[in-house]
Amino acid sequence: MAYEAQYYPGATSVAENRRKHMSGKVEKLREVSDDDLTLVLGHRAPGSDYPSTHPPLAEMGEPECSVREMVEPTPGAKAGDRVRYVQFVDSMYNAPSTPYFRSYAAAINYRGVDPGTLSGRQVVEARERDMEEIAKFQLETEMTCPALASLRGATVHGHSLRLPEDGIMFDMLDRCRLENGVVIMHKDQVGRAIDKKVDFGKPMSEEEAAKRTTFYRVDNVAFRDDAEVIEWVHTVFEKRTAYGFKPE
Amino acid sequence: MADDRKRLFQKDLEIKFTKEHGDNKMEGGEITDKKVTYYRLGVDQNPRKVEMKKAGQEMAAARGLVGYNPMMHCGGIPLGQRAITPSFISGTDIMVETDDLHYVNNAAMQQMWDDIRRTTIVGMDMAHETLEKRLGIEVTPETINHYLEVLNHALPGGAVVQEHMVETHPALVDDCYVKIFTGDDELADEIDSQFLIDINKQFPEDQAEALKAAIGKTTWQAAHIPTVVSRTTDGAQTSRWMAMQVGMSFIAAYNMCAGEAAVADLSYAAKHAGVISMGDMLPARRARGPNEPGGISFGHMADIIQTSRVDAEDPAHVALEVVGGGCMLYDQIWLGSYMSGGVGFTQYATAAYTNNILDDNLYYNVDYINDKYDGAANKGTDNKVKATMDVVKDIATESTIYGLENYEKYPTALEDHFGGSQRATVLSAAAGSATALATGNGNAGLSAWYLSMYLHKEAHGRLGFFGFDLQDQCGATNVFSFQSDEGLPVELRGPNYPNYAMNVGHQGGYTAIASAAHAGRGDAWAVNPLIKVCFADDLLPFDFTAPRKEFGRGAIREFEPAGERSLIIPAK
Repeated sequence: MAYEAQYYPGATSVAENRRKHMSGKVEKLREVSDDDLTLVLGHRAPGSDYPSTHPPLAEMGEPECSVREMVEPTPGAKAGDRVRYVQFVDSMYNAPSTPYFRSYAAAINYRGVDPGTLSGRQVVEARERDMEEIAKFQLETEMTCPALASLRGATVHGHSLRLPEDGIMFDMLDRCRLENGVVIMHKDQVGRAIDKKVDFGKPMSEEEAAKRTTFYRVDNVAFRDDAEVIEWVHTVFEKRTAYGFKPE
Repeated sequence: MADDRKRLFQKDLEIKFTKEHGDNKMEGGEITDKKVTYYRLGVDQNPRKVEMKKAGQEMAAARGLVGYNPMMHCGGIPLGQRAITPSFISGTDIMVETDDLHYVNNAAMQQMWDDIRRTTIVGMDMAHETLEKRLGIEVTPETINHYLEVLNHALPGGAVVQEHMVETHPALVDDCYVKIFTGDDELADEIDSQFLIDINKQFPEDQAEALKAAIGKTTWQAAHIPTVVSRTTDGAQTSRWMAMQVGMSFIAAYNMCAGEAAVADLSYAAKHAGVISMGDMLPARRARGPNEPGGISFGHMADIIQTSRVDAEDPAHVALEVVGGGCMLYDQIWLGSYMSGGVGFTQYATAAYTNNILDDNLYYNVDYINDKYDGAANKGTDNKVKATMDVVKDIATESTIYGLENYEKYPTALEDHFGGSQRATVLSAAAGSATALATGNGNAGLSAWYLSMYLHKEAHGRLGFFGFDLQDQCGATNVFSFQSDEGLPVELRGPNYPNYAMNVGHQGGYTAIASAAHAGRGDAWAVNPLIKVCFADDLLPFDFTAPRKEFGRGAIREFEPAGERSLIIPAK
């Protein structure tokens, strides 16, 4: 019988969404063009070549190594791309994803990534074209609502503030705005102005965000109501504690 | 129960987030509103920032070199920020600008640390034995009183033994003195009251009896060198300074011959035998001697704070005051400055002692524990619940979920603690302190701290900065591991404990846990009765019974520190 990954416990919609995020089987909701993605990431000019830090691996004349032979390099590593980052910030108000689930999704579904999780933000570092692949995946799918999540390379502050009147997550650098019912970015993730407005589409309605979120909230799906998840956390805690006794 | 409760922080947040302060335009509304108008008015909305901006401009004009300019905050992009709100100091009605809770701006905070760093406790018994047995000198209460009179002249920098030498101006060092304490009531009765820390007067009767029993007939000097000296040098200077003056004072008080061989024995006994530093020495890579904050164990810090002797019946209050003192010292001064040289660490610490958010969580826990475990959170030893994993899981889970739900129900609480590290500190400190109160076991409290971190991370899909994610996920494993290279009881851990060296936002909470276990039991001290008595001294400039109030007085500029230098600097 083929093994089927379980990913996450819990009987609630939040737990189910967490399973979906980790499995990578998420719904695509919008299109973001390659040029638009390059613009908002801000690492290089749209249409330009990927800058490299070394020649393609095929030209490197690498020494024999059984591990190298076993592991197929990612496209970015093969080409010698430099390492670049994408960083998301997720609101506490029913944003679809959370920093940890962005990390889990990246680590489970992509190779050659270095995910980092902090309080309100999550960064993935990878070879530039590999990073763009995962950035695009997250931006285009239900892992992201343009109003409740955003790309922020700097001044990430805002994930835990109240939402401004228009329901967009607070951003002191004003990178994202609601214009004519859609969310646009007119600055890149660091806050530098870009040449055009990049359209990320309509914000999720409150109902849709509540349905798709991976965040437990007492006014939606309360953490205390997901008994299986709490029991599982307790089990992890007990196992780690018992390990510390170092029985011999 | 949770939904019936009037939150302790509600009034504070209503004032803080729905009223205008200075030019700070606020929208009003309810503290449960999830949306608000951010006016993005920039730093000019805040009185303290305006004052600082003006000072920066004046300074730049006077010296011809640019300085403070708040437009630098965002690379010069004047897009503004959310409203800059003042904060209440928990447990008080003092409202402060949060800039004034940076220790550089707060004289009370500086004094708290000065008073710890400049303190050493030195045993007298070995010196007395040497005097009596080696030199045949009779030691009596009268000679001790005379010696203390000499030492209170010499310790601040007055010359003894030799003729007049260079001395310090007494008005610059008037905060420097020595007192003694003993568990021997008969001897204490014979000591001039000006020199005595009277355990019977300073502590409730049961605590005094326990302390005297622990100290026995030994006698100790509680010495505080001048604030200005320890500021100019370092914590290790405290015992050096004391050693020099104590040796000279013995020689002077007992009319000894400074050249005779037995004086060497006395010197060693008087200077080095039974010396208690507030903090241990740090590893060489951190380049600090004893009496620096990185060496202060959580148990020592718990004993330095004195709330337990003035409000013993409310052990939760004891833990909360310890949180305030501990977070300020460890987060703001030790980690914020000694370890990182940074500025932002103040905000980690203030989350734990402002706006009554932690207070609310802990007092909720007290009610929960007392309902479920028959008064186990009240002071006492017979009422404690056994420290089992089930109890740790129950209390830590209820506490953490209650706190998480407050952040979910009250968006202004979330906005106040806008960083995950702040939330993680508050939630875990509440869970850990509550479990320690209920069980009388600090390590059970520490265990609850780590479970709280797991629950928090799982519920919100995030935690603090990466230090939290790393340390708090391996922490459960070392809670009950007492091998010498792996673990210690919480009372003996400190910033020196390997896994805690960079734990911003943790160490004040750990201190509260150590304190809560003993306050919950009604113990007179957490780890060291000598330190507890040493700081039971009303003459110290900083009031260690109420550190949070003192920080508030410092913030509103009502606190008068020691170490005044106006005598030797030009008046402006």
